Amino acid sequence: MPRLGRFRRELRWRFWSVPVEREVDSELAFHLEMRVRELIDHGMTPDNARAAALERFGDLGRITEACRDLGRRRNEDMRRAEWLTELRHDLRYAVRGLRASPGFTAVALLTLAMGIGASTTIFSVANAVLLRPFAYYQPDRIVRLWETTPVTQTFSVSEPNYLDWRQRVRGLSQLAAFAGRVASLLGDGDPQQLNAVTATPSLFPLLGVRPILGRVFGEEDVKPGAPARVVVLSYALWQTRFGGDPGVIGRTVNLSGTSYEVIGVMPAAFVFPGNPEIWEPLAPSLSAQRGDRRLGVVGRLAPNVTLTQGLDEMRSVARELARQHPESNGDWGANVTSLEEWLVGRELTTRVQVLLVAVGLLLLMGCVNVANLLLARATARQREMSVRAALGAGRGRIVRQLLTETLVLAVIGAAIGVLLTTLAVPVLRDVGGTAIPRLDELSIDWRVVSFGIGASLATGILFGIAPALQASRADLNDVLRSGGRVAAAGRLRSVLIVISVAMALVLLVGAGLVGRSFERLMRVDYGFRAEGVFAASLALPNERYGSRNQRAVFYAEAARRLGATPGVRAVGFTNIAPFSGGSTAMPIAVVGRQPVSSDEFLSAAWRSVSPGYFATIGVPLRKGRLIAETDGEKAPLVVVVTETTARRIWPGEDPLGQQVRLGGNPTPWTVVGVVGDIRDQLLQQEPDPMVYLSFQQVPWSSMWLLVRATGDPMSLAPVVRREIHAIDPLLPVANEQPMSRFVSQIAAAPRFTALIFGLFASAALVLAVVGVYGLVTYGVTQRTREIGVRLALGATPSRIVGGVVRHGIELAGFGIAIGLWAAYALSRFMQGILYDVAATDAVTYLAVAALLVGCAAAASILPARWAARLDPVRALRDD
Amino acid sequence: MAEETELLHGTLDTLILKTLSWGPRHGYGIARWIQDTSDDALEIGEGSLYPALYRMERKGWIEAEWGVSETKRDVKFYSLTSQGRARLKVELAQWTRFTAAVSKVLYETR
Repeated sequence: MPRLGRFRRELRWRFWSVPVEREVDSELAFHLEMRVRELIDHGMTPDNARAAALERFGDLGRITEACRDLGRRRNEDMRRAEWLTELRHDLRYAVRGLRASPGFTAVALLTLAMGIGASTTIFSVANAVLLRPFAYYQPDRIVRLWETTPVTQTFSVSEPNYLDWRQRVRGLSQLAAFAGRVASLLGDGDPQQLNAVTATPSLFPLLGVRPILGRVFGEEDVKPGAPARVVVLSYALWQTRFGGDPGVIGRTVNLSGTSYEVIGVMPAAFVFPGNPEIWEPLAPSLSAQRGDRRLGVVGRLAPNVTLTQGLDEMRSVARELARQHPESNGDWGANVTSLEEWLVGRELTTRVQVLLVAVGLLLLMGCVNVANLLLARATARQREMSVRAALGAGRGRIVRQLLTETLVLAVIGAAIGVLLTTLAVPVLRDVGGTAIPRLDELSIDWRVVSFGIGASLATGILFGIAPALQASRADLNDVLRSGGRVAAAGRLRSVLIVISVAMALVLLVGAGLVGRSFERLMRVDYGFRAEGVFAASLALPNERYGSRNQRAVFYAEAARRLGATPGVRAVGFTNIAPFSGGSTAMPIAVVGRQPVSSDEFLSAAWRSVSPGYFATIGVPLRKGRLIAETDGEKAPLVVVVTETTARRIWPGEDPLGQQVRLGGNPTPWTVVGVVGDIRDQLLQQEPDPMVYLSFQQVPWSSMWLLVRATGDPMSLAPVVRREIHAIDPLLPVANEQPMSRFVSQIAAAPRFTALIFGLFASAALVLAVVGVYGLVTYGVTQRTREIGVRLALGATPSRIVGGVVRHGIELAGFGIAIGLWAAYALSRFMQGILYDVAATDAVTYLAVAALLVGCAAAASILPARWAARLDPVRALRDD
Repeated sequence: MAEETELLHGTLDTLILKTLSWGPRHGYGIARWIQDTSDDALEIGEGSLYPALYRMERKGWIEAEWGVSETKRDVKFYSLTSQGRARLKVELAQWTRFTAAVSKVLYETR
């Protein structure tokens, strides 16, 4: 019996190819045959011997079956072991191969890591902000309802209008109203200012959210006349203020001096705009003023009703109401928007979509570059592969080894990419968390990680293995004789580089536009100076400041005390601080002028301010006078208008002394001054008409306190708290911050976009340059012989350099031409996030094209000089 | 033919390993070897021999190669692996301990 030693493995392979059934049968048959022979030798007749042998053996069928079963399991085990051994072998081979060319490995890994890291990060952002469904029941059926004026498509709703809508609109199965309010929570420790939302009981079932503890309010809590004093806590407030105590239900809390009973706690996952901390019931009343529009309204579309149908019905109901109540509803219509548009906003949606496209391009560029690298490597190894094929390596074996190599590359690249993502995600969450809705829940999406890995694997298979396969099939003689030159792969690589340059150009144009737009945005003069101003918000509780006079007296006293404090240069109050996120507006009409068409309908933002407000934030007086201390409750009603207001309403006329009616109110207000415009909603939005009213004549209950300091504004915080508490020790001083933070937050989304785009564009530029450099170098090595001949025939080195660089620029040129066209075609999607820059801005396009040409030239010069220094003799002797 | 002696549970594996330690053998050869060496005292139950071989092959104690028998037929030859050799040592030690203990009980005189 021959011992086959080291060939045992191959033998075992052959052995497995014998089916286990035949293996067992022949083995047992042999045994019986031998036994029969033995018995015949002992003198039995063949027939008897056969019977005796069988009898002695036992149940042949059962034993055969048992052996087959064991044999099958044995084969499975061995196959698995064999597979693992080969995999280990392939892995070792792959790692050795990658380590042998560290340059290729490093570039490929970095490219993959960059592509996967960036796309995973950005997709996680998109997922957190846009794609992730809202945590409500059937969120796509929820809509936001607005009243509209000829100039505003999104205005709040009055109580009687809400009730009429609720009664008349059939296309909405549910309606709910809510309004924000500021409440102070008293009790142990400092008074705490809370974001409260009053909501109709229908809100919670409409959104489809349930409390985790207790109950939400029902219709019995809002019976007309005697609304129950009940509140529902947010999860956060329950945790921070009540330590997550389950016994909180039934306890009473003191809100601004009134006792409320806690009846429920909402789940942590329940989010609502403005992040309310406490919920109170709201009972809209038909007897409220129809012109007083303060409610937010949401609805749920009835089954089979589309948003457009809902909108049509809402408009016709609004027309009915306008006919019935011309004095308050004359110019008013209705609007319906999706939940997404309300919670995320159109501008941010565009922003994230543009980023998604950009990151998709970057990922594609990464794949194209890796493909290029693999092609180059495969071409370089074609000789090796052909030799191995000629020596008998099966094609399957070669492909499997290359696949392992690609796999190793993709997995390591993806691991680095995921690592980058885990580093980037917390940074992005911190940068944009408060300014960008829903970003605070940013987390890594593992589906995206797998997508990135899949994309890199697909790239690897497509571009790493196809050429290798071709090589394994190629005629050995051909390959050896032609020195490994494969023209087809070279052409494919040129195409890939052109694509890569084109995509880089698109990304660079995008980054250029976003960058220019951001730069202009940062230079916008928003009409006031936020630096050096301390801001805090105060909310006077109705219980202690019920009358207008009480409120006015408080603000006047606070301004007086703070004004006398050292380190304070000026003090002002306003109901809405610029860029703090709020807005108040109402229709404005000129006394004695009848609005003839809706074109002449005017709505103006209004602010209730103290006299010191203008000096505090540096709004200049243009004409007349500012709001003064003398504009008291009993004094004639006055209004200070902005330049834009004056220009819109009284073009070419003197606005001073003119009279206006505000919000449908018949009492006239007299214009006493004109001040400079400010932007206070969005940096990119041109100033809208705005009017300033006296804080004594419209003493709002919640106000922003703004204090201009001589030094660091935040150093005033303890002083402000001390002075306010000297007047009212129970009043919380909330939202203390430097006013400059409002401005930086309002710029957060554009800054976010600009930053990410800048990173993408730099990465794209690097990829494009590496690609051009690689291809030109490859071209030079391929043409060594030709260049040698030309040098030998007397071509000057500068001619050689020129030729090579021209090749690089030609490649880039094709890419740039395609890229310019693509960027132009894609540009209209970007217009929505650009400020003061056209999406087709020629300067940006030209600058980017020039930059790429320059980079391509620079990337070609290195290989070109190398070519020019070639020694013709050696070049010709090569191969 | 001699009276069949019932094999103690687990001893079959030890016997097969020991048999193969002398060199590769096919299944019938193993049965014969045990029978002949024990002067026909131990007759292997053939019903349990083959499943035992397959089981031990799976455990990696023995391995098989196709070879040609004395009668010119394709047949599996079993041989001991290094794992099997180690196993044999363990089983021999166990067997020694076991028989010593049994002897002590059986022949103890007081």
